[in-house]
Amino acid sequence: MTSIGTGYDLSNSVFSPDGRNFQVEYAMKAVENGGTSIGLKCKDGIVLAVEKIINSKLLVPGKNKRIQTIDRHIGVVYSGLLPDGRHFVNRGRDEAQSFKSIYKTPISVPHLMDRLGIYVQNYTCYNSVRPFGVVSIVGGIDDNGPHLYMIEPSGTCWGYSGAATGKGRQTAKSELEKLNYEELTVREAVKAAAKIIHQAHEDNKDKDYELEISWISLDETKGRHEFIPDDLLEEAKKYAEEEDDEDEDDEEMES
Amino acid sequence: MNHNPLQWGRPSNDTYGQYNHNIANASVREADHQSLDSFPKMNTQQPIITGTSVIALKFKDGIIMAADNLGSYGSLLRFNNIERLIKVGSETIVGVSGDISDLQQIERILDELETTEEVYDNDGGHNLRAPHVHEYLSRVLYNRRSKMNPLWNAIIVGGFNDDKTPFLRYIDLLGVTYGSSTLATGFGSHLAIPLLRQLIPYDVDYVKVTEEEARKAVENSMRVLFYRDARAADKYSVVTIKKSEDDPSSYTFTHEKDLRVQNQSWKFAKDIRGYGSKQQ
Amino acid sequence: MFRNNYDNDSVTYSPTGRLFQVEYALEAIKQGSAAVGLVSKSHVVLVALKRNAEELGSYQKKIIKVDDHMGIALAGLAPDARVLSNYLRKQAMSSKMIFNRPLSTSKAVLSIADKAQENTQSYGSRPYGVGLLVAGYDETGAHLYEFQPSGSVLEYFGAAIGARSQAARTYLERNLDIIRESDSVESLIVHGLNALRDTLSQDVELTFKNTSVAVVGKEAEFTTYDDESVQQWLDKLDSVSNARNRGDDDAGDADADADATEAAEGDAEGAGTTESSGDAPATETAPEDRMETDE
Repeated sequence: MTSIGTGYDLSNSVFSPDGRNFQVEYAMKAVENGGTSIGLKCKDGIVLAVEKIINSKLLVPGKNKRIQTIDRHIGVVYSGLLPDGRHFVNRGRDEAQSFKSIYKTPISVPHLMDRLGIYVQNYTCYNSVRPFGVVSIVGGIDDNGPHLYMIEPSGTCWGYSGAATGKGRQTAKSELEKLNYEELTVREAVKAAAKIIHQAHEDNKDKDYELEISWISLDETKGRHEFIPDDLLEEAKKYAEEEDDEDEDDEEMES
Repeated sequence: MNHNPLQWGRPSNDTYGQYNHNIANASVREADHQSLDSFPKMNTQQPIITGTSVIALKFKDGIIMAADNLGSYGSLLRFNNIERLIKVGSETIVGVSGDISDLQQIERILDELETTEEVYDNDGGHNLRAPHVHEYLSRVLYNRRSKMNPLWNAIIVGGFNDDKTPFLRYIDLLGVTYGSSTLATGFGSHLAIPLLRQLIPYDVDYVKVTEEEARKAVENSMRVLFYRDARAADKYSVVTIKKSEDDPSSYTFTHEKDLRVQNQSWKFAKDIRGYGSKQQ
Repeated sequence: MFRNNYDNDSVTYSPTGRLFQVEYALEAIKQGSAAVGLVSKSHVVLVALKRNAEELGSYQKKIIKVDDHMGIALAGLAPDARVLSNYLRKQAMSSKMIFNRPLSTSKAVLSIADKAQENTQSYGSRPYGVGLLVAGYDETGAHLYEFQPSGSVLEYFGAAIGARSQAARTYLERNLDIIRESDSVESLIVHGLNALRDTLSQDVELTFKNTSVAVVGKEAEFTTYDDESVQQWLDKLDSVSNARNRGDDDAGDADADADATEAAEGDAEGAGTTESSGDAPATETAPEDRMETDE
């Protein structure tokens, strides 16, 4: 059944006769054209990466960060309407802070996701608001080790080993499926993430992009969410592009 | 000012007469509903678990601060593992004396401050430094005293100014602030300040003082405090923050814990009269 | 009345995931006259073209000071900009009061970004109808941000908003390297005015009445130059009218593409033609005023 023209897609919180909420589906459409975001859960931590599309050469390189921090131990990356993403992160920060002010201990990642899931779901229930136009990938380390979640405009929230969203998500997903998350370390995952973002960018090749990677690991960052050091980022970029050349060489040889 | 924490914030007896402690013990039991409504709201009247002096001074390229690890319950030495020097950001230390539960509240306030200022969307630069932490704490403490609900503490903030000169400043439960090259709270302002002032007679003189000299003055002060302040312990922490030797634009922060007062001599004890079980 | 069923409010997505009300708010920026901002290593410059509604009316203020180290230039609904600049002023004062330090530029823009986002996700309020260029100098140096009603803020080396601003962006892109390396405020202002000049329509030229300039940077508080005081900067230009519109080959060819994209926008702009009538006497009085200021 088509959505357009029926009138069931004109207001949030309205079901169509076959039980769909079109406004939530349309919100997903806003996500599907954004720069690709990915998250990897390794044996010793989390790696988040994003393909930041550069729309103007007047933009200051290395600024306008896309990956944000909810609490010291929790990071987020999202694709879609970026201001909505900031709203989501601000709520996450409020939840983490209020948890800490009551229980005097940092919020666990699953509990934070529980609360954020409720918050995002609420924006599908009323015609006075619209659903969030972002899919967010949230990663963190707590007493039970690393966790990675992806949350959608509907409020759906699943745990992942490797998560991808945005324009290049299909390419990214098929690459993520090739990794062995039981053995993968964050240091290896940084390189893998750079390569995956590079490959996912094939879907959006007419525009330049900047790579942004962050990580959380007990060994590397003392359990804090931080951007990876500049030299490691350069190394990862180089690796991603080298691999690219090799692939091309292979293709040439095959042909 | 009387530096006994139990007396902080009280009008001086000499001027205003004896403080009426019944205010703290006022009972509402026999009050009827009408008078209950008109009964004044009461907040903290006195600290419960207390920490005694914090002492600090500037030296040529940094600051040094010390506080013992004791939490007293009245005259009972109740806890011996209280850390009263709190690190904020990467180059600031906050030393807290007075009520320990309020210290813990301040610790949480500072943790939240650090999260919002240093963790959220901080893309390098804009670091939280000592003058900012001090200004913030002075707002918090002044606000609380203006609500007649003070945080019962005296605090010293140490670190560096924007121009990289050492920063040292005091705040107390009334919101009073002042700065100096030698600072102490509580009994320390009677017992330690004269010793520290021997090293730094005038505020500008700190530039002549080496870290070793400052360290010696702190150790000496902590010993005298242990001798003469019955609420002081001989186990203490010291924080030193100074410009790095190899890179003057960054700072080295050292937090030493479980230090002991050295070279104690109790020879004078035998001459003390009027205390102990045996009257001589 | 409406173009489609999905553009009545900002709480309805179109089937392709767009928010038309927000996009229309972005169009409101283009109804306003242009503002340009650019950054060197140590300074930020804002320049803007002012309009008056009628000949006897005063010109609409385009640059607002926020604090000693920060200011904004606006394009679009000026009242909305006043609301936002008041908010920024409050934030700046709070920062001084609570932390005894000037508000960082990034914090300032993010605070209004989050404020603007709220208006795009709930029924009963409209998105802001104004674009801002926020210039600030803080402990991390000189910064220029572009704010949009969608709640997006991005940091630029050079940015332009408002009517025919694409022409200014083209100029900035072409001269980016020179602008980044300029070590004098004067050359930065001249580049800014050159970019602004490229946004002019045929019968308008830059005068001391319709041009605003502002500078902030290292050891320089946010200062605006209007009316008589802006003449000193206009005097540094080789021309005050748009080179392309005079048929100057030098700039004309390369800007052709920019012209094409801006053509539709230019047509839609009613105010562009009415404001020019007030400009002629202004240029005539200019030399006298200059003499006065020289004394």
